[in-house]
Amino acid sequence: MDTLGYLGQGFGVALSPYNLVTALTGTLIGTVVGLLPGLGPINGVALLIPIAFALGLPPESALILLAAVYLGCEYGGRISSILLNIPGEASTVMTTLDGYPMARQGLAGVALSLSAWSSFIGAFIATCGMVLFAPLLAKWAIAFGPAEYFVLMVFAIVCLGGMAGDRPLKTFIAALIGLFLSTVGIDANSGVYRFTGDNIHLTDGIQFVVLVLGLFSVSEILLLLEKTHRGQEAVKATGRMMFNFKEAASVFVVNIRCGLLGFIMGVLPGAGATLASAVAYMTEKRIAGTGGKFGQGDARGLAAPETAIGASACGALVPMLTLGVPGSGTTAVMIGALSLYNITPGPLLFQQQPDIVWGLIASLFIANIMLVILNIPMIRIFTRILAVPNWALVPVIAIITGIGVYAVHATTFDLFLMVGIGIFGYILRKLDFPLSPVLLGFILGGLMEQNLRRALSISNGALEILWSSPITFGVWILTAIMLLMPLLRIWRKRSAAQRAIADV
Amino acid sequence: MLLQRIFASVLLLACVGLALMAWPYQAAFSYEPVGPRAFPLLMLGLMGVALLYMVFRPAPIKHSEDEPPLDRETLTKIGICVLLLLVFAGLFEPLGFILSSILIGIPMARLYGGRWLPSIVVTTLMAIGLYLLFDRLMDVPLPLGLLDVLEN
Repeated sequence: MDTLGYLGQGFGVALSPYNLVTALTGTLIGTVVGLLPGLGPINGVALLIPIAFALGLPPESALILLAAVYLGCEYGGRISSILLNIPGEASTVMTTLDGYPMARQGLAGVALSLSAWSSFIGAFIATCGMVLFAPLLAKWAIAFGPAEYFVLMVFAIVCLGGMAGDRPLKTFIAALIGLFLSTVGIDANSGVYRFTGDNIHLTDGIQFVVLVLGLFSVSEILLLLEKTHRGQEAVKATGRMMFNFKEAASVFVVNIRCGLLGFIMGVLPGAGATLASAVAYMTEKRIAGTGGKFGQGDARGLAAPETAIGASACGALVPMLTLGVPGSGTTAVMIGALSLYNITPGPLLFQQQPDIVWGLIASLFIANIMLVILNIPMIRIFTRILAVPNWALVPVIAIITGIGVYAVHATTFDLFLMVGIGIFGYILRKLDFPLSPVLLGFILGGLMEQNLRRALSISNGALEILWSSPITFGVWILTAIMLLMPLLRIWRKRSAAQRAIADV
Repeated sequence: MLLQRIFASVLLLACVGLALMAWPYQAAFSYEPVGPRAFPLLMLGLMGVALLYMVFRPAPIKHSEDEPPLDRETLTKIGICVLLLLVFAGLFEPLGFILSSILIGIPMARLYGGRWLPSIVVTTLMAIGLYLLFDRLMDVPLPLGLLDVLEN
């Protein structure tokens, strides 16, 4: 039962006044960031990295801050979904389906607190799952050599494409762009300058804060220019703010089911909150059958995606902490943050720095409780923030983004690079490419190349090492299945279409 | 469709160019079997194959409902916005943080539909506020530029 002992130790770290304040600040900042259009968890976390570093936060506090921001963002995204019918993130699209109708029926406060509660249960289930499974996974992963890691990363990237469904090719290209960008700069093994074009500023490679903020913030700023229509009036959150016992009981089974589902989806690389919330909603809709009023303000339709989002957000931290392989855009950013502190997440982290891991897990519990409590008194302030017009907001976002980029290395070259990457990101977005695979590829690229080269150094250049061990072989088979999935889906869709034609 | 084909072709050309650039990358002496050019070349090669497929079989783009088609007016706006960001990058150090953010913040607020007076007031206050917040409170050093004189 040393897990419990570690967890206790983690709570000791997380409950220190300093870290409590950090978690509270993080949840507040995260909620506001998630609330604002154009800023999501990825930008939120990325913006705070240079600041956390400049403030001289110790690594565990910095990680707690980033995790709290991450959870807060997920929470803030739902406020605009419920009150405005505008999803702040792709993952909260499902929340609008029943959340907005509920708000229209005068249950805005109830919808908000119930969704916070659902998300809390989801996160709670996932955090429990994490406490149970993460150490096991870490223990198992210690046996991993460079070859195993390389194959695992191939699997993570292929998973992205397999799970993304409707556009595997574009996801694949996006990931490759990221993988390629990670090779820019001096090669650590041989000292060869790669793709720097004799530019001093590129010697160190592309700074990942620059890449993240360019890809996500700058392209979002440009995208906001297109949306000329003014935001609609937010539904006023009046009346009862808190859900009652009957409402909570009516969605309890949904919470448990979707919490487990969300956790599993979160752990799988590439699936993430968006897919988890969609699957959860569809499943619950089918289970409820004709008795449910899904789409017209059914509490279960609100609880299902929210629980799944909460659970998958925490579940996504499992592969990041245990294997050092991020499964989503936001966790990729967190890996980048850790590398600034010279911490490499992976199985050894559990042994060498239990304070960081268990402190983080414990602070997830605490941040979740804070979010539920914050919801009630703060909701009026949050709705007021929603009313800030774009013209006042966008310059602030642009300038804060500039500060974040400048804070890394204090060179204006990075600012120019950010604008360039931003334009590229905007074009990618307009052409329907997903952006988070670029980021994931960028983070995984360095690790992938190092592990590949190390593995082949061990075998003296013989490629067999990449598939000879049972683990690598198994992962390759999984990878092949993942590769076939989109093909299978296309084939099934095509045969269904043919059948439809034949019927007519 | 056409846009995608053009984009894929341009990216494909870039891949070829980068691959040519990577070709001479070789370690002067090395103890490992895999040199510095294998991995980038592998990535560029895979990307090239995928892009080639895209040139011939581009996938249709799904537009979300609230996304209006790009017209000339929006494109000019986007051009101006990019220009402003570049000006910001260029003037960040010479003019200093406060002045350069005011300089680009006001036109940017106008671009997003703000009126003159509120834009000027909000942007100026924000620039000074952010400077104090980040430089003084949070130890993120920002250049003062021309306003250096005021400090002493």
